[in-house]
Parts: sequence; C-alpha cells; structure tokens
Amino acid sequence: MSTRAATKATISRHSHRAPTRHHVRTSARWLARYLLDRYLLLPLGAAIALVWANSAAESYFLFASKLSFVVNEIGMAFFFALATQEIVEAVMPGGALHTWRRWGLAVVAATGGIVGSVAVYLAYVTLSYEAVLTTAWPIACAIDVAAAYYLLKGIMPRSAALPFALVVGIATDAFGILVVAPRYPTLAIHASGAVLLLMAIGLAAMLRAIGVRAFWPYLSICGTISWLAFFRAGLHPAFALVPIVPFLPHEPRRLDLFADPPDDDAIHHFEHEWHALVQVILFFFGIVNGGVLLRGFDTGSVAMIAAALVGRPVGILAAVGLALLAGLHLPRHLGWRELVVVALATSSGFTIALFFATGVVAIGPVRAQVTIGALATGAGLLLALGAARLLRVGRFG
Amino acid sequence: MRRLAFVFVAWVGVATVPMAVPAAPQTVLPARPDSLKFAAIGDSGTGDRAQYDVGQRMATERMRFPFELVIMLGDNMYGRQQPEDFVTKFERPYAALLSAGVAFYASLGNHDNPRNVQYEGFHMGGERYYTFNRRNARFFVLDSNQMDPKQLAWIDDALKQSRDEWKICYFHHPLYSDGRRHGADVQLRVALEPLLVKYGVNLVFQGHDHIYERLTPQKGVVYFVSGSAGELRRGDVKPSAATAAYFDQDQSFMLVEIAGDELFYEAVSRTGQAVDSGVIRRRATRTTDGS
Repeated sequence: MSTRAATKATISRHSHRAPTRHHVRTSARWLARYLLDRYLLLPLGAAIALVWANSAAESYFLFASKLSFVVNEIGMAFFFALATQEIVEAVMPGGALHTWRRWGLAVVAATGGIVGSVAVYLAYVTLSYEAVLTTAWPIACAIDVAAAYYLLKGIMPRSAALPFALVVGIATDAFGILVVAPRYPTLAIHASGAVLLLMAIGLAAMLRAIGVRAFWPYLSICGTISWLAFFRAGLHPAFALVPIVPFLPHEPRRLDLFADPPDDDAIHHFEHEWHALVQVILFFFGIVNGGVLLRGFDTGSVAMIAAALVGRPVGILAAVGLALLAGLHLPRHLGWRELVVVALATSSGFTIALFFATGVVAIGPVRAQVTIGALATGAGLLLALGAARLLRVGRFG
Repeated sequence: MRRLAFVFVAWVGVATVPMAVPAAPQTVLPARPDSLKFAAIGDSGTGDRAQYDVGQRMATERMRFPFELVIMLGDNMYGRQQPEDFVTKFERPYAALLSAGVAFYASLGNHDNPRNVQYEGFHMGGERYYTFNRRNARFFVLDSNQMDPKQLAWIDDALKQSRDEWKICYFHHPLYSDGRRHGADVQLRVALEPLLVKYGVNLVFQGHDHIYERLTPQKGVVYFVSGSAGELRRGDVKPSAATAAYFDQDQSFMLVEIAGDELFYEAVSRTGQAVDSGVIRRRATRTTDGS
C-alpha cells in the first residue's frame, strides 16, 4: 500500500472513530448520571457480587475480605455523615421535617414497625429452634429510607406521605444504629475511646464557636479523632461522623432530601463534594457485602423476609390504629390506603439491613442467611407499588 | 439348549460384573492399648429411633474398640432444648457410654441453643470455643456459626502455642463438603483455612451435611464430614474430584485411633458396617510460625 493510501485509510478510520468515541463517552456519562441520581450503584454492586459469589465463590470472598474493612468501617462513615447532614438540615426550622407535629404519629408508627418486625423475626427463629439466629434481630429494624422515599415520591409526589415515611424511616434506623453501634464485633474495648470521643466533640464545638465555615477541619481533625474513639470504644466506627456532623454550619433543607445539593454556598460544599464519592462507596459496599451463596437460604432468610414484609407493615398499621384511637390525628390527605402503601414501602431494609448485618453478626452462616433475607426485602418496594395500583393511590388514583 | 444356557450364563456374568458391590472396607483400627481412641458424631440430637440405634451401635463397637471420648460436631440437640430434652436426646441414647465414663466434647451447631455451653455433659466449660488435649493430640473446638475477630484471634494464638504432635480441629459448618443441601461454606473457609494450613493442622472434622464424606487432602489438611449420627439426608452426596469416599445411605459415626505418627479411622454405619477406613500418617512437624 502506498503512503498516501495508508494515510487515507488512517484518516478514514479516525473519522469513523471520533463520533463513535464521542457517542460512547456521552452514553457513559448519561448512564453514570442515571445510576447516581437513582441510587442504583448499590443494587448494581450487590447484583455483581451475587453473580460473582455464586460462580467463583473463593475469589469473591477473598476479594471481599480484603476490602471489607476499608469499605465497611471507613468508607461507610461518609455515607452516615451524609445521611446525618440531610436529617439535621431537614429538622431545622424551615426544613422539610421541622415541627414536632409531623413527628408524633410517625414516631408511633415507627415504634409499631420496630416491635412488629422484631417480634416476627424472634418468633420465627424461636419456633424454628434456631436460637443462634436471635443475635441478628437488630437487622430486622432496618429501613432503606432512600428507596422508600424515591418510590413514594414516584407514586404520590407532594403528598403528606413523604415526610411521614421519612420520619418513620429515620426514627427506625436511628433506633437500629443505637442498637447496632455497641454490638460491633471487635477484639478489645479501651476506655480511652470515651475520652477521645469527648475530645472530638469538644473540638467540633470549638470550631463552630469560632465560626469555622469550611467543612474539612471538622471532618479531617474531629472526624479522625472520633473514628479512633469509636474504634477503641468498641463502637462501630462507621458511625464516627454522626456526632460531628451536627456541628457543621447548616442551613434549613427546603429541597428534596437525597437530591444532589447546590454548590453555591460553603455549607453545602461537603455534601456536594462527597455525594458522588459516597455513591461510589455504596457501589463497593454492595460488592463487598451483597455476595452470598444462594444455597445459604435458610431459616434466618425466611425470618428476615417475614419480619420486613409482614411484621413491619402490620406493626406500623396497628400502631397508627391504636394512636388514632388514643386521639392522635392522621396528617391531612393521608388516609388508610396511603398508609398501607407507606407501610409496605418502608418494608425494604436493603442498604441499611446489609450494613446492620456487618455490624451485628460476624462472618459465617448466620450472616449469610440474614444477608440473603436483607437483599430479598427489596421485594417490599414491588409490594408497595402493587398495593398502590390495587388501592388506586396517588398517580394510580 | 446347552449353548443357549451357556450364552445366558455368560451374559448374566458380564452384566453383573460392573454392578458388583465392592467389598466393605475391613477394619483397620489396631486398638493398641496405649493409643488415643475416640469417636466422632455429628448432627446427632434428634431423640428419635435412629439416634438411639447409633448410640447402641457405638456401645457395641466400644467393646472391641474402647474409645475414651466422643467429639460432637454440632447440632447436638434439635428442636426443643428444655432439661428433659437433654435426657431424651443425649443422656438416654448414650447412656451405656456415659455410664462407662466416656466423655463427650461438643461444638455448637446452628440448631444448638448457645446456652448449651453450660451443660456439663458437653464439657464446654461455658465457652463457645475451647481446646483440650489427650496424649499427643490437641483438639481445637470452634463455633462456626459466627467467626468473629475474637475467635479468629483465639484460634490463631491457640494453634501457635500448640506443641502437640497432632492438631485436630472440629466445628459444625464444613469448609469442604460435597453435600447437595449445604456444601462448603466458602466464606468461612477463606477466613479459617489459612490458619489451619499455616499451623499444620492435620485433620478437621465437620458436620452440618447429613452424610459421611472423606475428602482428598486440601492444602495438606484432611477433612471429614460426619453429620449423620441422628439426621440423615439419603443420597445427598454429589461426588466431586475432591471426594475420596462417602456414604449417604444410613446413619453413621466415626471411630478414630491415634498411635504415634499414625491416625487410623473407620466410618461405621448404624448397622455396624465399616463404610470407609484408612490410615493417615502425620506430616513433618512445622514450626509454630508456620514455616
């Protein structure tokens, strides 16, 4: 081939490649945005892990064991920091969840949900005579708030069901965190942890008092000390930033919870900068913890599914019923049909349940069983969707 | 007619050759007076006829092979676990052995109530995991339900400290198994196997799958699954390249003898048939740091 012909061929190849490459890049960007906006990176990670674990188990578990500490104990601290940030701003004056009137009935409902799910879980494992599974009961409390929120927003946008479901989810998970944090399987507990924690909180209060508005001194100094404090005190270090975040300067959150925040003020810098990173962390969280051998499905899996899909909705509805009898009132435009959908939407534990599983149960068959159950509670979202159609709620009305 | 008869006999002969049942392995247990003799039972505590039959067979076998202890591979009690159940699911089925002074050392299975570690008959000293030794062998008993960091650190240290010639681990959930229902717990294997290999554990007894199986040595460690001393899952073995021998047609238990550098084993069915037997020679001793 002559030089000219070769050059021509190269140009021709390039001219074909350029638009293709551009197309691929645009599509990849769109896909990444789509996955980020819909919190789909975690389910994607879990799905990859499930396939990997069931096709090449040894390599998967070896990989997961090497990454587990970095993802579960360090990375997830940023997830819980972001969640705390969203909640703190939502309950501030002017925030989406401000005023206790919105909390009253929802907290009662959350209590009912906790009692219902834990009672069903414990009853099932007790009647199956598998007492070793009782230690996993806190996992039955978990609610995937983000998943419930997005589903309900799709079914009944701008409904009173949204803040109601958020409070149910947040109150339930807060209870779960209080139970899970001290159960962290650790080698030793050191009293110095408490001193370090006080030091971290004191330092954060001081930074706030002197008007430090940048987020990084809070996270890098106070956060690191708090992480060490939690770890030494035998508390799950993933919650280490929870007591620090309330000291960050905040503004009321009028926007949607879980939405990508604006980057127009110093206050939201932390959230904006970490939002995408946390999604990536969640992707790896799904990969590290979502892989279970499906043949491990057993009593603990069934108990977890029954607790989430039956115990919690029944508990929520029963508690609301009792509260109404006691004189409390339902929020405006929220009837029993909407409540049924909310109760089912909060039955999915998924992300939080997977995390609680890593916090209360050490590796082994017990964790494998309840992890399968936790993954399967995602079916609660489909049930909620089905119920909304059946009961003609929201956009199905 | 004679020719026809000859052809018929020849055909029958040819047809039956591949179907011939291999002769049952002969017992290899030398039953030396100064050796360590013990039995292994797994998934035993059903309280039903089969468990009592196995208990009776063990007592009979003990007359020719006087074992001094029994290791229990978990699921020592199924169903309700009230004080009266310890009688019907443990003390009565093994009454002859208990009255002869045989000591039972239990590990916890998924059906065992964690409170059972306090039951004196199981010799667990109130612990989920523990160790004990007899002559030149040390036993490491683990709780495989949850392999928490404390337990992993404990077994690491216990194996490191051990100067015993034979290191034997036992627990409920199998690291290797060809049982269809449960099979190997690979996550547990990833956590535990490196320690077993590093410190030169010789063999591992496991339960959970209601079968008997002996596996080919994995990274130098011999694994047995013996989970059919009460429960049985007939036809549950799906043999693989790692299967050395198996039996899944009736309840079974194991008899083991350690004499110097040799370990003799025999798997015995409920009816007293030796379904597998052999001898394992101890590997060259490793140093405590695993080198």
